[in-house]
Amino acid sequence: MKTKEIMTTKVMSVKPDDFAGEALSRLFRLKISGLPVIDEKGKLVGMFTEKEILTKVLPSYVEKVGIFRYEENPKAIKQKVIALASLKVKDIMRKDVVVVDEDTTLCEAAHLMLSQKVRRLPVLNASKEIVGIVARVDVVKALFEEYK
Amino acid sequence: MMKGIFLKLLSLVFLAGFFGFIAKATGMNTHQSFSITILSASILGTLLFWDFRLSFAFLGTSVLLVSKTIDLEHMIKFSSLEVILFLVGMMVLIGLLKDSGVFAWIVSLILRIRRLTARKFVFYICVISALLACTVDEVTSIVFMVAAILEICDYFEVEPTPFIIISVLATNIGSAATVLGNPIGILIASKSGLTFEDFIVKAFPLAAVCLFITIVILFFWYRKPMKKLEENIKKSGANEFLIKLISVPPERNLKIGLGIFGIVLFFISIHHRLEIFWGLEPNTVLLIVPLVASGCVMIWKWQKAREYIEKDVEWWTLLFFLLLFIQAGALKYTGATVFIAEKIVNSVGNNPNVLVGTILWISTIGSSVLDNVVLVAAFIPVIQGFYALNVTVQPLWWALLFGGCLGGNITMVGSTANIVAIGILEKDKDIRMTFFKWFWVGLTVGLITTCVVWVALVFLPFYK
Repeated sequence: MKTKEIMTTKVMSVKPDDFAGEALSRLFRLKISGLPVIDEKGKLVGMFTEKEILTKVLPSYVEKVGIFRYEENPKAIKQKVIALASLKVKDIMRKDVVVVDEDTTLCEAAHLMLSQKVRRLPVLNASKEIVGIVARVDVVKALFEEYK
Repeated sequence: MMKGIFLKLLSLVFLAGFFGFIAKATGMNTHQSFSITILSASILGTLLFWDFRLSFAFLGTSVLLVSKTIDLEHMIKFSSLEVILFLVGMMVLIGLLKDSGVFAWIVSLILRIRRLTARKFVFYICVISALLACTVDEVTSIVFMVAAILEICDYFEVEPTPFIIISVLATNIGSAATVLGNPIGILIASKSGLTFEDFIVKAFPLAAVCLFITIVILFFWYRKPMKKLEENIKKSGANEFLIKLISVPPERNLKIGLGIFGIVLFFISIHHRLEIFWGLEPNTVLLIVPLVASGCVMIWKWQKAREYIEKDVEWWTLLFFLLLFIQAGALKYTGATVFIAEKIVNSVGNNPNVLVGTILWISTIGSSVLDNVVLVAAFIPVIQGFYALNVTVQPLWWALLFGGCLGGNITMVGSTANIVAIGILEKDKDIRMTFFKWFWVGLTVGLITTCVVWVALVFLPFYK
C-alpha cells in the first residue's frame, strides 16, 4: 500500500502571514495538533503545530536545567501567551519539514514518523505541491487493515 | 552571500600563507613555517567559519601528516588525551548532576533569596556565578544562572539584559579560579605541572580580587537598572511566588548527586598529596578522579550510561580541542616554538616582568575575539620553549590563564559563556544584544581586571 491510498486529500492549511492566534483557533476548531503552512504560490514552507507553540511559550532553558517541577506557572508564561497571538505563523512554524511523495510505502512513512519524531507527513507531488497529508493514525489503521 | 564566503576563504588562505611566509622569512625551516601556516589556518577558520571549525581542524591535521610535518607517534603524543579524558569524565559527571536535579536545586536556592534588594541581588549573582563557574565550568553554570535571573527579572518586571551581562562577567572571572572552571585551566595544569592546590592558593585569591573590583564597577555602571529593580521589589513586596515556583524531586537522587560531586571535589583538591603519597607522576590523580567517578556513575545508572556518553559529552568540541592540540604540538615537534621563544627573548629580553605583560595582554586581547582554548593551545608550546632559555616560567602560566579568561569579558563573542547567555536571551526574550551594549562594560571590566592581574604578577613575589 502507498501513501496516496491512505492520505487525506482535503488538506487544511494556514498561511505564513496569518496571525498565530487565528491559526491556533483553527487547530482547536479542527481538533487536530498541527497544520501545514502553505505560501501564496502553493508551496509548503513549514508546519504549525502544538509542539512549536509549547516550545515558544516555555523557557528554552527548561531542557538544559535538568529535572525539576513547576509548582506555579511562571509570570512570563502569561505574557508569552498574550504576545503569541500577535505573532505571525512564520515566526513560530517549524521550517524543516519531513515530507513524502505519493508513492512512498506505508512502512517508509512509519519509519520516517518514528525516526524523525513527527506525527504527520505532508505528501507532495512531482511539482512539489502538497496533495495530501498522512497522519500516524492513518498509517497504523492501514497497516492493520492490510495485514489482519 | 557566496561572495562573502569566497572573500572570507580568500582572506583565510592569504593570511595563513602570509604568516607562513613571515615565519620562513625570519629564518624558520620549511616544516616549521608550514606548521605555522596550518595552525594559523585553523585559528582563522574558527574566527571566520565558526560552524566549520572542526572541518578545518580535520583537514589541517591530515595535511600535517601527509606533508611529514608531524609523524603518527607524535600526533598521538601531542593530542593531550589526558586532558580530553578529564573533560569527558567531568561532562559525564555534569550529566549526572543535571539528571539528579542539582542544578535546578541551585536555581531554586537563588529564587529563594529572602529580603531581596537590588544590591543583594547583584552581589549574589556575581558570587554564585563565579563560584559555580569555578566548580562545574563556565558553560554549564551560565545556563542555570540565566534561568534564575530571567525568572527573577520576569517576576519583578525589569529588563534582564544588564543582570545577564553581570552574571556572564562574573562567570568568566570565576572560571580562572580553579582547574575546573575552564578547559584552559586543566590544559595549563596538565602542561605546566601546576596543581589544584596551586590554583587555589594563587589563582583563586586573584580571581576573588578581580571579582570584588568587578562588583564595585558593576554597582556603578548599572546603577539605573538596579534602581528600577529596587523600586519594583518594593512595589511587589516579598518574593513568596518565586520561593515556591519550582521544586526538585526526588530528594534522594539530589543528595547522592551532590555527595558524588563533593567526593570528586575532595579528591581533586588533595590530588597532589595523593600523588606524592603513592609515588605517581604529577597530575595523575587529578586526571583520573573524574574518570573513576564517571565510571562509578555509569555502573550506578547503567541504563543511562550510553546517554551520558552520547548526549552529555560534547564530542564536537572535544574533537576540535584534540586536533588543535596536535596542530599546536606540531609547532613544538618542528622546533618552531623554541624559535619563537628565542625571538621573543631576543626582542623583549628575558626579563620575566616584560614577558608576563606581553603574554597577559596578547592572551587578553586575543581571547576577546578568539576561543581561548585555541589561543592557549598555541601559546603553551611557546611558554614551554622558555624553559630552555632559563626564563622564570611560572608567572607566565598565570598570565596565560588570566589573559585567556578575562579577555573573554571584552566582547560579546569573547567566550562560550557569553554566546550561550546571549543565545538564551534572544530565544526567550527576543532581546538582541548589540556589540556596543556589551563592549563598553566588558572592556572596562576586562581592562581593569587585567591590569590588577598584571600588577599582582609583576609585583607580588608570591607569583614568581
